[in-house]
Amino acid sequence: MAEDRAGSAPPASLKPDAIGFVDALVIGLNATSPAYSVAAVIGPIVALVGIYAPGVLFASFVPMLFIASAFYYLNKADQDCGTTFSWVTRAMGPWAGWLGGWAIAMTGVLVVGSLADIAVSFGLLAVGLDSWAENTFVRQLLTVLLIVVMTGLCVIGTELSAKVQNVLILAQVAFLLVFVIVALYRVYAGTTSFDSVRPSAEWLNPFGAGGAALTSGLLLGVFIYWGWESAVNLTEEVEDSASAPGKAGVWSTVILLVTYLSVGFAVVAFAGTAYLAENAGEEEFIFALLAREVMGGWDWIVLLAVATSALASTQTTIIPASRTALSMARRRALPAHFARISPRFRTPDVSTWWVAAIAIAWYLVVSQISENALFDSLTALSLLIAFYYALTGVACAVYYRRHLTESMRNFLLIGLGPVVGAGLLTWLLVRSVMDMSDPANSYSGTSWFGLGPPLVIGICISLMGVVIMVVLRFRTPSFWHERRGVVDPGLVHGKES
Amino acid sequence: MSVVLGYDESPGAARALRVAIDVAAAFDERLVLVYGAAPPGPTGEEYRAHYEAIAQAGRAGLEHGVASAEAAGVSATVEVIDLSPAQALIEAASRYGARVIVVGSWGESPIRGALLGSTPHKLLHLSTVPVLCVPTEA
Repeated sequence: MAEDRAGSAPPASLKPDAIGFVDALVIGLNATSPAYSVAAVIGPIVALVGIYAPGVLFASFVPMLFIASAFYYLNKADQDCGTTFSWVTRAMGPWAGWLGGWAIAMTGVLVVGSLADIAVSFGLLAVGLDSWAENTFVRQLLTVLLIVVMTGLCVIGTELSAKVQNVLILAQVAFLLVFVIVALYRVYAGTTSFDSVRPSAEWLNPFGAGGAALTSGLLLGVFIYWGWESAVNLTEEVEDSASAPGKAGVWSTVILLVTYLSVGFAVVAFAGTAYLAENAGEEEFIFALLAREVMGGWDWIVLLAVATSALASTQTTIIPASRTALSMARRRALPAHFARISPRFRTPDVSTWWVAAIAIAWYLVVSQISENALFDSLTALSLLIAFYYALTGVACAVYYRRHLTESMRNFLLIGLGPVVGAGLLTWLLVRSVMDMSDPANSYSGTSWFGLGPPLVIGICISLMGVVIMVVLRFRTPSFWHERRGVVDPGLVHGKES
Repeated sequence: MSVVLGYDESPGAARALRVAIDVAAAFDERLVLVYGAAPPGPTGEEYRAHYEAIAQAGRAGLEHGVASAEAAGVSATVEVIDLSPAQALIEAASRYGARVIVVGSWGESPIRGALLGSTPHKLLHLSTVPVLCVPTEA
């Protein structure tokens, strides 16, 4: 036999020197796609809590911070697969792990449709084709085409876009900040056509609008920070090479917070509460409308920022979803053909196309049955996000349970923080489920089986998951024989000392 | 010196393997089978699952390659390198003092190749040793 050096490639090195400050900053921002998130969520949040929108945006960061800590420590312990699916399986057994993996893959799959829809709508608005954007058939056709093209790009695995994306993402934050500066300038100069109000520190009070509104607002708010934990994980991956990536992780957090808070302030101050209350039914386009009012002929800058942000995150959403499916299939938690790697392009082509197919089917079905489908499915997504984040938080404490009492730091960051985060998210989840069981509280205001559409969507996805899981349990039992474990003590002390 | 071959299990690589074995046998040199395992696309938490799947596919393919080479009486070495295919070949070529790099080409139009990022195309521009491109059988 020939000498086999196949194992000689160092398994722990993901090209550590390859990631510089700008790259790390971009990855952190990219995963959360600020312009798209803010465009999707600012309308609904303002409609819910009025002037206290900045407070809710800020408060949403708290559970995220705790959960990001869980992601950081779990990623430290188990880098070889590195998904919620893998971690929860290790800490809490295959059943919980499978459901976590299902939730994470589904969130990815389900958000692609609304991302592509936003990219198409804002793209058309940016180039002045407003009538196309309002024509449902044209918009849906373009959205489906866009998903297919973006999936094709993911399968081919083009590296062409990396540099372009860096520029687009930094530009998108810059454009949002331009919007904020112009809006606030016009508020203070008194040149707005609305009932503007001067910003006040009181707006940062998340409890201003009462408990129920805060709960719904927080659940949406979690969505805008969704993905931010990648920035935290990234800092670990390259920790030893230089301090630049760690700083980039912190900076991307600061930039996100500043961007979201200032956009919140700008929107509320510029439009005034009366206008926002009147247009509460127009959440989808409130940001587009305001962009036009604030920027005049330059509104295409903001629209383009949102469109490119949504476009970029279509791609960055398809890739993790398909990789999660790949990871699950490799451990026999999904049928083996999902693990197929295209010999030509070296990408998981089967799972990638499946992600696209489900995303398209989902998008078309939901837009048929619900008028305000995108926002109903966004709310349903928030339920799934809250679910798998909470699961990850608990898994962290469980996986490290033998090390929690070793130091104050361990206890706070690995135990208490993630568990509090998980508790907050579970509380949000339960409260929202109670809220959503009343159809009047959904965006479309319609009733499905006597419940609100987002809840029905969420329940359907969970039930599908459970059914598929049980079927797979009997067809491919090997994954279900995996046993719970705890973190390797050597690893904890090796890293901590 | 040695002969470096870019090998995966694609149809294009099968003929390249035969040609590379012929070349290595003719010069009586070692054949180095190289597989660049870096996945395309951005890094992320799920990157490693993708990376491992590719490396595993690569190792499976390389074993078949080694078996064919040894059947032809050529000694073979396997290299799974954590780089994109073109970079991996260049790196292996310099490390093993390659006489020639052998790669299979897909025989598609130059525009398609440029868009999809053709490995032979990159090698022709970047390599400092001769590159032998083997078209797929018609």
